[in-house]
Amino acid sequence: MVKNIFFILLLVSALEANRFEANCASCHKLFPVEIDKFLYRYILKYSSEESVKVALAEYLSNPTREKSVMPEPFILRFGIKKPSDLNGTELQNAIDDYWLMYKIEGTLY
Amino acid sequence: MDTNLSHSEKRTLKNFVALYALLSFSILLLISILYLDVERDLMLRKKQVLLEEYAKELIQKLKYVHINLDKTRKYPRSENYKSAIFDSSKNLIFSTLKNKKVNLDDKLYKTENIIHFIKQPSSYYLGSYYVVVEIVDDELWLNGVYKKLFIYAGSLFFIFLIVGYFLSRLFLRPMREAIEMLERFIQDTTHELNTPISTINMNIEMLDSKRLDERSKIKIERIKIASQTLSHLYDDLSFLLLNHKVISNDEELNLKELIEERLNYFEQIANVKKVSLNFVCNKEQTILIDRKKMIKLLDNLISNAIKYNKISGDVIVILDEHTVVIKDSGQGIKRRDLKAVFDRFERFNYAQGGFGIGLHIVNVIAKEYGLNVDIESKENIGTEVSITW
Repeated sequence: MVKNIFFILLLVSALEANRFEANCASCHKLFPVEIDKFLYRYILKYSSEESVKVALAEYLSNPTREKSVMPEPFILRFGIKKPSDLNGTELQNAIDDYWLMYKIEGTLY
Repeated sequence: MDTNLSHSEKRTLKNFVALYALLSFSILLLISILYLDVERDLMLRKKQVLLEEYAKELIQKLKYVHINLDKTRKYPRSENYKSAIFDSSKNLIFSTLKNKKVNLDDKLYKTENIIHFIKQPSSYYLGSYYVVVEIVDDELWLNGVYKKLFIYAGSLFFIFLIVGYFLSRLFLRPMREAIEMLERFIQDTTHELNTPISTINMNIEMLDSKRLDERSKIKIERIKIASQTLSHLYDDLSFLLLNHKVISNDEELNLKELIEERLNYFEQIANVKKVSLNFVCNKEQTILIDRKKMIKLLDNLISNAIKYNKISGDVIVILDEHTVVIKDSGQGIKRRDLKAVFDRFERFNYAQGGFGIGLHIVNVIAKEYGLNVDIESKENIGTEVSITW
């Protein structure tokens, strides 16, 4: 029984990771700009983890030119993305994964 | 005339000096703290220029790392300063600080010998909403400040001392004038009392009691008692005024005989208040002392024991080895008043006459001959005065 529960949890977490990969990273691979650079631009503008995550969630659920942190030539070339299909929790989990994967804090030496 | 500072004057002066010293010290301390604060602020302002330079340099280096995060994540360091960066939620991102305790709400401050300077960059490289630059203060500036403080505070204290001296003179002048006036008055009164008292005493002695009827005898006895009281007062005042000018003529006195003589002397006065005078001689004693002074000492104690006694009370004089005890069954002295009983002109009972000089005289004589005077008293029970040597 315990083994089953552990297996289910592992499966769910793998699916969550796949959600970030499937919904975010897969498209960004097509861009000449790597996905981590977007986070660094958010950090440059919003500083803390909380502020960055809030700004990301707002942009991804309702992207506008004003909310974008990317420079004008980038927007002119690639345009503004479509709103995310993920629901609130899924989007939040994807953003958390994104933060964990590329955050600066704890990686400096 | 005795113009030395009395106990109460000394006490007043002592209180004034203590209060003045405390006030002067507080003022100097406050000025010193303010001065130190100003100097510290001035030093920090001077250091701020340098710290601004260091902060700019650090932000440039942070920018470089931020742009090149895929190449390096090495936090920039310098030999000149330590640093730290915090995000907008005040969470630490990275720190090389010696003093980890940082107050991000203060721009520039010093804790012990560490100076912290906080700068908020326009762009948050590596997430740095707050950039903290830390340098160590060698505190050399403090030596100069302490030197100046020592000179200034010393000069001020000297000025305070001079002002205090004049203030104390000004402060004590009314009290001194009042005491001098009182002493002048007593001196004049004493001088004027001498002739009439001598005349009354002489004439009473000359009266032939055998030729007087009973009623006249009683009247003469009353005059005698009154004259005795006046004589006693005159002697006390004379002693007070002339004590330092009278040469002592010490002799071996038999205390048993002397006490009996003095109790006999006070018998009539005691009879007026129906106070019984008792003498217990446990051991005969002799003492080397001036006769007049010992009489004065005993007279004052016995006189007080009668004067402040209740009607039909007792006075017991006990003579023991190196001890004379005079006990009464009077109203007693309050505990808080006991400290000042030897002060000149100090009186605790205004119902009875007197100048408040009796116990002062006792104390002066006791001090001269190295006698100890202990007073124990309980209110409404009585007072016990012990003379030991």
